[in-house]
Amino acid sequence: MNKKLYILFVVGFFCTAFYGSKFGFLDFPEHFPIVVYNLEKNPLTQEKINLGRALFYDPILSKDGTISCASCHSPYNGFAHTDHELSHGINDQIGTRNAPPLFNLAWQKSFNWDGAINHLDMQALAPLNDAREMGETTDSVIVKLQNSALYPSLFMAAFRDSIVTGQHFLQALAAFELTLISANAKYDKVKKGTEEFTIQEFNGYDLFQKNCNSCHTEPLFSSYELANNGLPIDTTLNDYGKGQITGVKADSLLFKIPSLRNLKFTHPYMHDGRFKRLNEVLNHYTKGIQHNKTLSEKFKNPIVLSSNEKTDLIAFLLTLNDSEFVFNPDNKYPRDILSNAK
Amino acid sequence: MKQFFLFTFLFFTYSICAQQGISQVKFNVTVDEKPLELGKSYELLENEDSITFDVLRFYISDLQFIHNEEVVNKSKKKHILIDLEKPESLQIAINEYAGNFDKIRFTFGIDSLTNVSGAMGGDLDPTNGMYWTWQSGYINFKLEGRAKKCPARKNEFTFHLGGYQAPNLVAQQVELNINKAEKGFEITLPIDKLLSQINLTDTYRIMSPNHEAVEMSHLISSMFLVENL
Ligand code: HEC
Ligand code: HEC
Repeated sequence: MNKKLYILFVVGFFCTAFYGSKFGFLDFPEHFPIVVYNLEKNPLTQEKINLGRALFYDPILSKDGTISCASCHSPYNGFAHTDHELSHGINDQIGTRNAPPLFNLAWQKSFNWDGAINHLDMQALAPLNDAREMGETTDSVIVKLQNSALYPSLFMAAFRDSIVTGQHFLQALAAFELTLISANAKYDKVKKGTEEFTIQEFNGYDLFQKNCNSCHTEPLFSSYELANNGLPIDTTLNDYGKGQITGVKADSLLFKIPSLRNLKFTHPYMHDGRFKRLNEVLNHYTKGIQHNKTLSEKFKNPIVLSSNEKTDLIAFLLTLNDSEFVFNPDNKYPRDILSNAK
Repeated sequence: MKQFFLFTFLFFTYSICAQQGISQVKFNVTVDEKPLELGKSYELLENEDSITFDVLRFYISDLQFIHNEEVVNKSKKKHILIDLEKPESLQIAINEYAGNFDKIRFTFGIDSLTNVSGAMGGDLDPTNGMYWTWQSGYINFKLEGRAKKCPARKNEFTFHLGGYQAPNLVAQQVELNINKAEKGFEITLPIDKLLSQINLTDTYRIMSPNHEAVEMSHLISSMFLVENL
């Protein structure tokens, strides 16, 4: 019996070792849970990531050649769009939601604020085909890429096929997005034992675990579920989140719980960018919660924070800023690939 | 010499068997019992309307041959996009098969698991125009056209049926009994029958997973017929 268990253990160990090494060059952080994204269906290679990175930064994806994914998801903002409450698309059109930051997408179960997208691969179809974002059609982008001087050879390198297909296009974009991993904030270093929290940060961590962790669950700082966190509806937008997609009453006002990493870089906050500062966010949680039918039951007991406690909590939240990720040159505009082509 | 006869005998039996085997299943889409032509204006008596079909595409998945409730053969591809603009897509390749079967089974649409499995190629490539963009999910059935009685802009009707999450599970199982298949058979979808069962003056647009999509998909799946040749 013991022997069997032992064998099971050894086999298990080798399986996990294999699992880890397969995506080796990506360095998935040890203190993170197992990824949600099925990498076996889209194994990562450097060639595929390079192609995805070029596509992400190339305005060829928009109808008039002015907007790239990075226009709304800037690397310096944790791939969000700072200073814009609502995103800006082609012809200066304004969307209805704030562009969320992009990182740790391999752990996310659903995408967009309303969770309407079920897989990272498929997410790019949304901005591409939205008249206010990139104003294109998937078919026309595929034709443009096929006819370009640059892309057939990049697709060849990535997929051993120079014919551009929708599948390969989406898988390459996803491959690049999967490499956007934020796991080197002060918090992570404390977890690894190489740094220590100050007393203030430690108090903040305690308050965080009591009041916030049930939704913004560490170490990703989101459970990636959807919830109603009591924001009053903005009647100029009338955005009901998931309810708008499913038409089910119980889904009304449910929005995806965002990660709290990199808040320094990703303001303004919430799906419509209504808060510019973390102070305003905390004031919302202590005195702005709007009670309605779908409000999360986690707010049954009101959140009470003194002004000192708010300061401590914010000090902790700032330990989640990851400048190594935000300034990582591997994630930036791929000048070597894109400027050679022009 | 004996060996030679045995050999020729075996060879002939083999080739007869091979000829009897089937290697494809043909689908038809008909109006007034004739193959549908896209872009042609039809005067449909039951509807008292003139109707033109511009786009008709749908998915068939997991096509199986059944004998005594056991699966004895299946299609080569798991998911097949039938597109009236591409007549060759109406011929579905199956594994060569010469045995008995009494039933054909297939899914009209795309199963839920495939719907959540990321980007796929071939018949499932999102550039086939059979994938929603503002929310995830395949469009199982797409019918677009024009009818004089249809009150929408340019008299257009648009049916995009899909949905992979309860309660709006749109994919349907279809089972068809095959009685005398010796001379072959074809599967027919008489699309005019669909239009005679809906009122285009008030049902002319379905474009998201909802109760109407489930109902219409159910209706269509009950309309497939087997025609012996
Ligand atoms: C016009 C601005 C704009 C452009 C261009 C744009 N996005 Fe976005 N992006 C957004 C907005 C706004 C959302 C949130 C959408 C929603 O909730 O409906 C979003 C959401 C996302 C998400 C989901 C993140 C999450 O946490 O759920 C990903 C991934 C993403 N975009 C990637 C891309 C890629 C890849 C491209 C290029 C093909 C792109 N975006 C182009 C504005 C943009
Ligand atoms: C019931 C789950 C829940 C709890 C508990 C919760 N939040 Fe949230 N939080 C959410 C949701 C959902 C959103 C997104 C809401 C939206 O935009 O509509 C959000 C958004 C935020 C944002 C904006 C992030 C961004 O990128 O836009 C911050 C900051 C935040 N919460 C901090 C906190 C803090 C601090 C606490 C604890 C005091 C807390 N939250 C407790 C669910 C929760």
